[in-house]
Amino acid sequence: MVYVKWGFWGLFWLIVLAFLHYTLPQHDVVRITDTYEKRVDPGDNALFWANADTGGDPNRATRDVFFIQTFQADDDPMIYRNEDTGWGWPPYFKFDTSNLQAEAADLISKKSEGAPQWVAIRHYGWRNEFLSIYPNAISLWAVESPDVRIIPWFNIIFLTVLAALVWGIWVRWKRFRENRIDPAIDDLTDGWG
Amino acid sequence: MLQLLRLVIFGFLFLTAVYVVVSLWSRSVRKRKLRREWEEIGRPGDRDAYVRAGMEDYDHSLRRKALLLVYIVPVLAVLTIIYVVNFM
Repeated sequence: MVYVKWGFWGLFWLIVLAFLHYTLPQHDVVRITDTYEKRVDPGDNALFWANADTGGDPNRATRDVFFIQTFQADDDPMIYRNEDTGWGWPPYFKFDTSNLQAEAADLISKKSEGAPQWVAIRHYGWRNEFLSIYPNAISLWAVESPDVRIIPWFNIIFLTVLAALVWGIWVRWKRFRENRIDPAIDDLTDGWG
Repeated sequence: MLQLLRLVIFGFLFLTAVYVVVSLWSRSVRKRKLRREWEEIGRPGDRDAYVRAGMEDYDHSLRRKALLLVYIVPVLAVLTIIYVVNFM
């Protein structure tokens, strides 16, 4: 029984952490090498694709998606998709996909060039080759070097507030249960042995 | 457009649920405080009347109106995110 309990809570926290890790913004410093557009037919991985462009037809099964092709400082490739999240989930309210693609194309910097142009990309999501899913780029800006330090202020504040909120509700719920529900159940089950 | 409508409708329903819960909770806290206050100042007159008068004051207080922030803060947050993500 105790394994079931641990398994349940382990799974619960794994899902919560995975959800936050997928949804909250993260930063990478990369070199953009190309920007392109390709048709996508979401299938099993449909959960990991956002919406059609805001204003477009949301019911089409297939559509063109912008991609940004990059290399990280350690020469590992990383590909981002560039999609509107619109009014849907996750709540980034991103509508400027085409503008972002123009900015990305403007900062292209190949390996053969003298001084590489490094770019910080804010994104959410995961890259997974087996599912063919890509993180969604939210915004980008030029930076001096790949060692630039970006402090995730939003995540620090958001996680602090979230923890405080959950803790506050949890404490009150526990008190409520001890004062109101447990005595009622005790009364009800009185004499049951 | 349908997506915006969906966000507004479900957002409103969710925030209304939050508003109701927070409002009930705030009233119960206020009542508890009034009862304790009544005991501390030497039990003047009827306790229920004392609590009722106190709750009437609460109904007109700024503290109660501040609960409307449940609706205002998320809307401001959404507007801020839209500005930061798309126009900054």
